[in-house]
Amino acid sequence: MNTEASRQARFNQLAEAYGTDLYRYAMWICGNDALAKDLVQETYLRAWKALDSLNDLKAAKSWLITILRREYARTFERKVPKFTDVENVVIVEDRELEPEDRVEIRQLRQAILKLAAKYREPLLMQVVLGYSCEEIAGALDISKSAVMTQLFRAREQLKSSLQKDGVTGNVHELF
Amino acid sequence: MNFSEFKFLLGADPRSREPEFQRARHSSAEFEAAASEADRFEGLLDRAALIPAPDDLFGEIFTISQQPVGSAGRRRWLPMALAASLLLTAGAAGWIWNMNRGWATVEEYVVDHYRHDGNLVPTEVGIDQVQALFAGLDMQATPALASIVNVIKYCPTPDGKGIHMILNTESGPVTVIYMPGTRVVDREMMAFDNVEAMLVELQAGSAVIIGPDQQSVSALYSFVQESITPAPGNS
Repeated sequence: MNTEASRQARFNQLAEAYGTDLYRYAMWICGNDALAKDLVQETYLRAWKALDSLNDLKAAKSWLITILRREYARTFERKVPKFTDVENVVIVEDRELEPEDRVEIRQLRQAILKLAAKYREPLLMQVVLGYSCEEIAGALDISKSAVMTQLFRAREQLKSSLQKDGVTGNVHELF
Repeated sequence: MNFSEFKFLLGADPRSREPEFQRARHSSAEFEAAASEADRFEGLLDRAALIPAPDDLFGEIFTISQQPVGSAGRRRWLPMALAASLLLTAGAAGWIWNMNRGWATVEEYVVDHYRHDGNLVPTEVGIDQVQALFAGLDMQATPALASIVNVIKYCPTPDGKGIHMILNTESGPVTVIYMPGTRVVDREMMAFDNVEAMLVELQAGSAVIIGPDQQSVSALYSFVQESITPAPGNS
C-alpha cells in the first residue's frame, strides 16, 4: 500500500470508528443537529490535515475529541447555542421504549442539559465517550479528585432532578 | 471501604474495576442494594446520553459543503475538491458504491461486498455500540457475540441496510454480515479469493460467515444463528 493510500486507510479507520462518538458528544455540547454535524466535519478536516502528528492510534479518540472541543470553543466563544435538537433527535428513538422509561429518560435528558458545563462535560466524557477519570482529568486539565467530585455532584443533581420531577421508582432510594 | 466512600465511588466512577470497589459491592446487603440501584440509574443514564447518530452520518457531513451558502446556520467553507477527497477518504465511498448497485444473487453480493469492504482494520468496539446498531434494525446480539466484535458498521445488502462485523475468534478474524431482508439457502458454502463463506438462515433475515477456511466458518454456524435474534417484541 503506498503512503497516500495508507494515510487514507488510517483516516478511514478513525472516521468510521469514532464518528458516532464525535457526533453524540457534539450534540450534547452544542445541542443542535446541524451545528453538531458541522463540528464533526470541521474536526475531520483538521484531523485529516494533522493526521501525521498522531503517532499512537490508541490515542486517536482523545485526539479527535480534543480537536472537536477546541473547534467548539473557537466557534462559539462569543455565542452560546440554544439547546434545541437533542429532544427532537431522541423522540424517534423513544418510541421504542416503554412509556415509563420514556418519561424518565426524557426528564434525565432535560436534567443533563440543565447541568452546569463543569458537571455536564466530565459526565458526558465518562458516559458517552467511555473515558476513565484519569482520561477526563487529562482532557480537562484538572486533578482526578476534582473530576470525581464533579462526576459525583453531576449524578447527585440528575437524581435530585428526577426526584423533583416526581418520577417514581427505586432510583430515589439511593439519595 | 466504608459506606460513604462506597457511595461516593458509585456516584463518581460506578464502572470502576478497582478490586476494593468490586469487593465492596458484595460486602453486605446495604452495599449490594446501593450498587443495584446505581446500576439501574447507570442503565437509564446510558440510554439518555447515547442519543442515536444518523445512519448516513458521513454522507450528511460531507455533503454539507455542497448545499447553498447561508441556510440552516451552517458554515459552508469546505472546498469542493477537498470535500470530494474526504468523501472518498472517510469511507463514505461505501454509500456511493451502494448507489444503483444491484446483485443478481446473494452469492454475487457476498463476493462483491467482501472485495470492497473485507479489509477493515480492527478497532475497539464497545458492547453498547454493537447493541445500538442491532437495535437500529429491531434485532439484538447476545453478549457473547457482542464481546468479540472488533469492527461493526452498517452496510448495504441485497435487500436494504445490514450490519458488517469482524469477530475476534480463536481461529483469527472472521467476517459476519447480517442481512435482515435476505433469504438464503441455509449452510450453503462458497469459496473465493482464498476465503470460505457460509450462508446462515436466522430467525429474522440471514447472515454470511466469511473466514480463512471451512473449519473456522463452520465452527461459528450455531453461534451466529443463536446470537443474532429479533429484539423483544419483534419476533
